[in-house]
Amino acid sequence: MLIGFDLLDRQIIDRDGAPVGKVDDVELTYDDTGTPHVTALLLGQAALGDRIGGLLGRCIAGTARRLSGSLDRPPMRISVDLIDHVDSAVNLTVNRALLQDPPLETWLRDHLIQRIPGATHES
Amino acid sequence: MKRFLAIALGILTAIGGFVDIGDIVANAEAGARFGIAHAWVLLVGVIGICAYAEMAGRVTAVSGRPVFDLVRERLGPRVALANLAGSLLVTVLTLGAEIGGVGLALQLATSVDYLLWVPVVAFVLWAALWRAKFSVLENIFGLTGLVLIVFVIAFFRLPADYSSLWQQASHPGPPTGEDWGTYWFFAVALFASALTPYEVFFFSSGAVEERWSSKDLLTSRINVFVGFPLGGLLAFALMLTSATVFHPLSMSVDTLSQVAMPAAIALGKLGLAAAILGFFAATFGAAMETGLSTGYTVAQYFGWTWGKLRRPRNAARFHTVVMIGILAGVGVLMTTIDPIQLTEYTLVFSAVALPLTYLPILVVANDRGYLGNRVNGRLANTLGVIYLLIVFAAAIAAIPLMLTTRMGGG
Repeated sequence: MLIGFDLLDRQIIDRDGAPVGKVDDVELTYDDTGTPHVTALLLGQAALGDRIGGLLGRCIAGTARRLSGSLDRPPMRISVDLIDHVDSAVNLTVNRALLQDPPLETWLRDHLIQRIPGATHES
Repeated sequence: MKRFLAIALGILTAIGGFVDIGDIVANAEAGARFGIAHAWVLLVGVIGICAYAEMAGRVTAVSGRPVFDLVRERLGPRVALANLAGSLLVTVLTLGAEIGGVGLALQLATSVDYLLWVPVVAFVLWAALWRAKFSVLENIFGLTGLVLIVFVIAFFRLPADYSSLWQQASHPGPPTGEDWGTYWFFAVALFASALTPYEVFFFSSGAVEERWSSKDLLTSRINVFVGFPLGGLLAFALMLTSATVFHPLSMSVDTLSQVAMPAAIALGKLGLAAAILGFFAATFGAAMETGLSTGYTVAQYFGWTWGKLRRPRNAARFHTVVMIGILAGVGVLMTTIDPIQLTEYTLVFSAVALPLTYLPILVVANDRGYLGNRVNGRLANTLGVIYLLIVFAAAIAAIPLMLTTRMGGG
């Protein structure tokens, strides 16, 4: 498996097929022999911006950090133990409700969408 | 009836591409100025969008991934961001134009200025995208848009000069008084509108909304091979009636009311009423398509939850983006820019977005990791490569043509 081709930028879905996010970056850990291993998937626009780099990347990461409400919040991290298998998407073994909610989604839901009539209505 | 409704997605997608407000007028204008010398462009466009929409529908049905997921996976975050920026500009500008177009259709019916209708239309559009079921929206507006068939009927009621129409179609080129530059400008504009990027975004996302799986491959194909040719036929009927009525008189067409004239001449009041209803449904359908596509592309680029199959509270960022898109479209309109001209400007941004959208579809449609044994056959790949080259050529030619012909003004 190639990290760049098969893992990065794939859609992550939970055990019921609901979208969780993209593999915006990966966390590498070196073992005793100095071989790197992927230990976690990193999600969120801050991680994405840092990966893109340059002026544009800094803008994306900066905006994302500002919108998340705290400037030093680490990116959302999903341990590789939670990966069931990788096909056209990265399939997790858990339900999305067990993972942390993205801060922007929570903020927009509570301050904007939830206040409009019909937000909880199944259309 | 259920079988019939199953192709509503394809029809609505095609209407948004072929007979949205800019194209309704562009087809009639081309017909008035050049006769049906652009008929071949519509044919080339229909074959191209069929080839790529079939691939996109197949990839989505088998793998569950809509097109913008593929764009980011195969092109990486930077290039995909350039595509996102380009296609978002196309989509939002078109959304604005369509809201104005619905206003223009209502102006024809009520004589109230379209700018007064804009806030009302924008609100109704938002409410529909917020509350109504996806299948209800596609059925109502996809099928009502078909009322534009009135232009096909009108053509057969008009005293057409078949030999000169055949002469125009079989000898493509500018008639006396027009030059090759404007001829090609119209050709590129009509071709680009047949393959607008939001069509494949909307079609594949709609397939996810309708929960298509490998079992629905046949449904997907019927949608593609019925919907898009039907859209092309409606566009052709507009060109044809306009070529029949206006071209012999050397009149030019630049407003929606003139486009409706042939239907009124051939079929009287009822024909006019059907034309106005058709304009209304087609532009409102295109507004829905572009409005949802705004949310689809952004959410799929970042991996957010999206779609009308979820409650709005569970897709807060998606619905926020759709709202911002509608507001931005209204903002553009409120500068009193002509909505019909607005879609012509999107050509520039299409030039960036088109190749970057169709290349990843072609690549993934050959990837066994996604499609197993349902990868492209030889025909799909041949067409795919040929059209990629045409799209590149059109993308390169678009901006110089636009500048030298002053948007087809001659």
